[in-house]
Amino acid sequence: MHISDGVLPISVTVGGYAASAALAAWSARRTRSEELPKVAVVTAAFFVASLIHVPFGPTSVHLLIPGLAGALLGPSAFLAIGLGLLLQSMLFQFGGLTALGANTLMMGVPALLCGVFFQRFKGRSRRRQSIIGGLAGALGTALAALVLALLLATGGEDFFGVAKIALAAHVPVVVIEGLVSAFTIGFLARVKPALLEPAFVETRKAVHA
Amino acid sequence: MSACKAALFRGRKFLAAMLVSACLVFAAGSALGETPAEQSPAELATLLAEQNSSLARELRRIQREIAALRADLGKPGLQEILGGIGYILGLFGTAAFVASRRRDRSPNGPQDSGGN
Repeated sequence: MHISDGVLPISVTVGGYAASAALAAWSARRTRSEELPKVAVVTAAFFVASLIHVPFGPTSVHLLIPGLAGALLGPSAFLAIGLGLLLQSMLFQFGGLTALGANTLMMGVPALLCGVFFQRFKGRSRRRQSIIGGLAGALGTALAALVLALLLATGGEDFFGVAKIALAAHVPVVVIEGLVSAFTIGFLARVKPALLEPAFVETRKAVHA
Repeated sequence: MSACKAALFRGRKFLAAMLVSACLVFAAGSALGETPAEQSPAELATLLAEQNSSLARELRRIQREIAALRADLGKPGLQEILGGIGYILGLFGTAAFVASRRRDRSPNGPQDSGGN
């Protein structure tokens, strides 16, 4: 799920760059220096995840993990995804450099929303964290497909048509991503629960204190 | 020495030229000899068609191979992947370094400045 060069109108391209630069700056300010190693690891995982092709029926789908990144990083997820997409577009030619702003918005905004969702509903028990993590992972991809439809709609496409196609094409990704996220978060909850601590709440307190 | 070499080279060139022309002459001769006058044009046509189809098959195979190669070229290799991971770790390492220096220099000692 990447937008290529020349698909979007120029105003949307520039707007996407501006919006994602602002969000990335906000995200960088919210990132605490102790969290940098964690952000780096999740960024690297996000960068590499798109290369893992899961065979599915006649085709194969690849992971996107915006939801997982959001659940693990909270506000820093936008920065992580922006950097990951920048390197992907430069090294792998995934998506174009001019569409980078729009692509970052497409993956980053769902990641932030999934972060809020996960931190709000994760509860205490391990099982619940795992289930909510899986839901966040599935939600991330589905939201990304919706944002994709929204962005393409600005280029003159029919929003509901594109949304339907994008969602239908990503049903397997949503399912697989939900499973992967549930497994990852369940594993982290058992092995290192500190990684799942609410970055949103803590950071907000630290900023306002 | 060099003159000898040049002569040798010239000799070799001459030999190669001879060989090529001999091949041409013999091939032409054999082709002429192999084509009996009694072979009908229809047989010739089928022969040609057979050769054509086999050549076309070969070409298609080679075209498929080229397409597969091109697809492989588009795929990121291990170098790109490792390079990207290196970039990410390096950038975050630099950020952590800068953040730690800033924290150490801040007036109230080594404390997290909270947020940036």
